[in-house]
Amino acid sequence: MKKIETTLEHLRKDIAAFYNPGLHHFMVMNAVETGEQMEVQWFFADYAHPCETTCFYALTGREDEVPSIKDIVLSAWVAEAELVDLMNIKVENTAKGFVLEPDFESGPLLKKK
Amino acid sequence: MGRQYEIPVGAQHISLLEPLHFKFTTENEKIIKTDANVYYVHRGIEQACVTKFKFRQVSFVVGRVCGLCSISHTTAYSQVAEKLLKLEIPKKAKYLRMLVIELDRIHSHLLCLSHVAENSGFEALFMKTMMYREFSMELLEAVCGNRIQYDFSIVGGVTRDLRTDVAQQILQRLKTFMPQLDELVGIYENNWTLSLKNKGVGVLTREQAMQLNVVGPFARAAGLEVDVRNETEDLLPWKEVGFEMITDTAGDVHARNMIRLREIYVSIRIIQNIINGLPEGELVTETKAFPEGEATVRLEAPRGELFYYAKGNKTQVLERLKIKAPTFSNVAGMVKAFEGNEYASAPAIIASYDPCLSCTAR
Repeated sequence: MKKIETTLEHLRKDIAAFYNPGLHHFMVMNAVETGEQMEVQWFFADYAHPCETTCFYALTGREDEVPSIKDIVLSAWVAEAELVDLMNIKVENTAKGFVLEPDFESGPLLKKK
Repeated sequence: MGRQYEIPVGAQHISLLEPLHFKFTTENEKIIKTDANVYYVHRGIEQACVTKFKFRQVSFVVGRVCGLCSISHTTAYSQVAEKLLKLEIPKKAKYLRMLVIELDRIHSHLLCLSHVAENSGFEALFMKTMMYREFSMELLEAVCGNRIQYDFSIVGGVTRDLRTDVAQQILQRLKTFMPQLDELVGIYENNWTLSLKNKGVGVLTREQAMQLNVVGPFARAAGLEVDVRNETEDLLPWKEVGFEMITDTAGDVHARNMIRLREIYVSIRIIQNIINGLPEGELVTETKAFPEGEATVRLEAPRGELFYYAKGNKTQVLERLKIKAPTFSNVAGMVKAFEGNEYASAPAIIASYDPCLSCTAR
């Protein structure tokens, strides 16, 4: 797995420069708690280099809003909606209520304090 | 412009086999927009895997993510754990994992085909397909001990060896099944009423499949050459046992049917090659190490790419486990492929997606 660090500020620019639908396959987003921060990850497979996975990651604060990439990667809205519900991450222009019911408490996968 | 209607379908509906909710906006009978929700079956499995269970137990837990592709989940998890442990498993274990994955693919594809027939109004074909599918369930039970949720792959290898009599039984039953499969291909390919319901219906183009990152038979039916078996030779030697990429170009329900049927032939050939060339050796590689670092694994489940991410912290319990099921990747494509179709075609289109919400919501 090739990990590429980015920031919330540069995320959209970095992914737009990297992503080519003919070469890359967007798989999913993930988030890992690292103390007070979250490591938000975007995973891509590479058609040209089988067996290789590329992961963009950005460290964010709990209250930070993650920019949406759904205008760059058209299917990313599903992964963004999932993270909003399961990890209680704020994603730009993404409402809760896709993977969990809208009145369900967000973030069931967060570690219990 | 015709009159617009909003039609909710699901979470419980006669044409839905999974708890999924679609809201169709139609103009008279034509679907012009679709909204989807998948929020009915979240079970907190990922959380349980990193709080309640030790990493060696997790392969048994993730086997419960899905009843149909249990072997894909247990194998993908075992592989990601083995990467964290830097563990190389015996070649025989790899072959046996592939054997069960392909038997599983046969039963899953036949199940999907039967539901497409049923949702297309062809009850007799549904029953015939399910009848022919039964042999694969019996073989899975003979190999793994269970008809579903077979705890076959574990961290380091597999739980059971393939007995000689079971190997012979598999070869014999596959031989018996071949003419039945030919018969099914003939019906799904040529039946006139089925073609009216399936041809040109629910079309997803190659360009759309690529843009929406669709996976599995849904993508291959649209002409997109994506099959993880073609891309992950580092984990399981698929090409060594006869893997072949199957694609179509029409991208409709009929093409999805044909992709699944043709893939069953490939699965049969792979199983025969595995049995005829099964290596000798151990079933498990033992280790006392604890998982450390991060790893990802992709595996071609019957519905497409299954993705596992795991992070270990040198303890018995993982730091994080992330599961991405094939249907999750297909949601965006599913919503798109309804557009422009008659509402009456929705049941057959839904079945042709082969959605698994149990996997998706976990």
